[in-house]
Amino acid sequence: MIPTPEQTLGPFFLPRFVDADANDLTQLEGRRARGEPIEIHGVVTEEGGAPLENLIVEIWQADAAGIFRHPLDPRHREADPDFLGWGRAATDREGRYLFRTIRPGAPAGRAPHINLMLMYSGLMRILKTALFFEDGPGNDADPVLRCVPPERRGLLVARREAPGRYRFDIRLRGEGETPFFDD
Amino acid sequence: MTVLFDRPPEAARPVREVAGYPQTWRRTPRAPLVRRPLTLSETTGPLEPARRLRPLGGELAGAGERRAIGQAIRLRLRIVDQGGVPVAGALVEMWQANAAGRYVHPNDDDHAPLDPNFYGAARLVADADGRIEIRTVKPGAYPVPTRDGWWRPPHVHFSVFGRVWLARLVTQMYFPGEPLNAQDRILNAVADPEARERLIARLVPPTGDPYDELVYEHRIVVRGREATPPQP
Repeated sequence: MIPTPEQTLGPFFLPRFVDADANDLTQLEGRRARGEPIEIHGVVTEEGGAPLENLIVEIWQADAAGIFRHPLDPRHREADPDFLGWGRAATDREGRYLFRTIRPGAPAGRAPHINLMLMYSGLMRILKTALFFEDGPGNDADPVLRCVPPERRGLLVARREAPGRYRFDIRLRGEGETPFFDD
Repeated sequence: MTVLFDRPPEAARPVREVAGYPQTWRRTPRAPLVRRPLTLSETTGPLEPARRLRPLGGELAGAGERRAIGQAIRLRLRIVDQGGVPVAGALVEMWQANAAGRYVHPNDDDHAPLDPNFYGAARLVADADGRIEIRTVKPGAYPVPTRDGWWRPPHVHFSVFGRVWLARLVTQMYFPGEPLNAQDRILNAVADPEARERLIARLVPPTGDPYDELVYEHRIVVRGREATPPQP
């Protein structure tokens, strides 16, 4: 069967759908996930640099050992029971988003990374991208990052601002435009 | 087990830049999207997002003195994958305007009235057969504040989690026979008429019971299909 066509999220996705702790992956039902807690934050802008408010960002990532909590991962039985790997945030008035998560381990054949998805009014399809870490390792060999033209790869690398704190700005269109994937 | 992700035909996906929808021209990437090999990272995904998100029941229309204004309807949804297999446990979020065409949202400054008995949102988990049922009122149409003015037809928004990251879907459902469907710039951003038809719900023939609501059935197909059946 052919998938149901996507349609834009529109401007009326309810604030109530962004639950208060949905952007905090470091704990699950009061129990702490294994690994190093980190913060990922940044600003989402449209063409011309205007910040976007109430844009929805969702992330999906492996746990500290590089395992995805999903039966298709051959190692999933060893996945951290207190780490869901998924979170949601909305941008504020200044276009800022924030996730508290665990530094992902390297999944088999990949560099440590976090998948991101953006949903918003004016986006007719979900935008998908991925974030890599300035302090790697293995970015140069990552099969997904290598698909991005070399001069744009740096746009997918989060900058280390302080120990455990990374900045990843997302520009939807225009100068310094973030690379997005089409699957 | 592996999961196959057949690329949807372009004509069955919306165009990304839409005439008369200015935000699409400021927010759609200009550079070509990058094709990538699919690894475990994209072909796995969150199976339990509901553990982070509070449920919101599927009874939106209310009853008695708390009955929302508008035509009460029952939406029967079924979530399946591309192989037709029900997505048991799929998390579905739904939101819509009230019967006057107004959302309970700070961004909606339309002059249409709010209904104190209608919030217009649900968050539910599909049963073992991929089914979800919502009792609500039929949403009203509303004008889009652009220079050349156009109206959204009555529609319901859905956000659906499949079993993998690539199956994540945000879509809208429309009602059959609505004259505004033919002019809607978002629905008609999908070029293939058969694909547009799959965004329109089916009215189930009414029963003889005057207390029954009108029922609309709708199928949502998320990406992915299993290449081999799951092992017991």
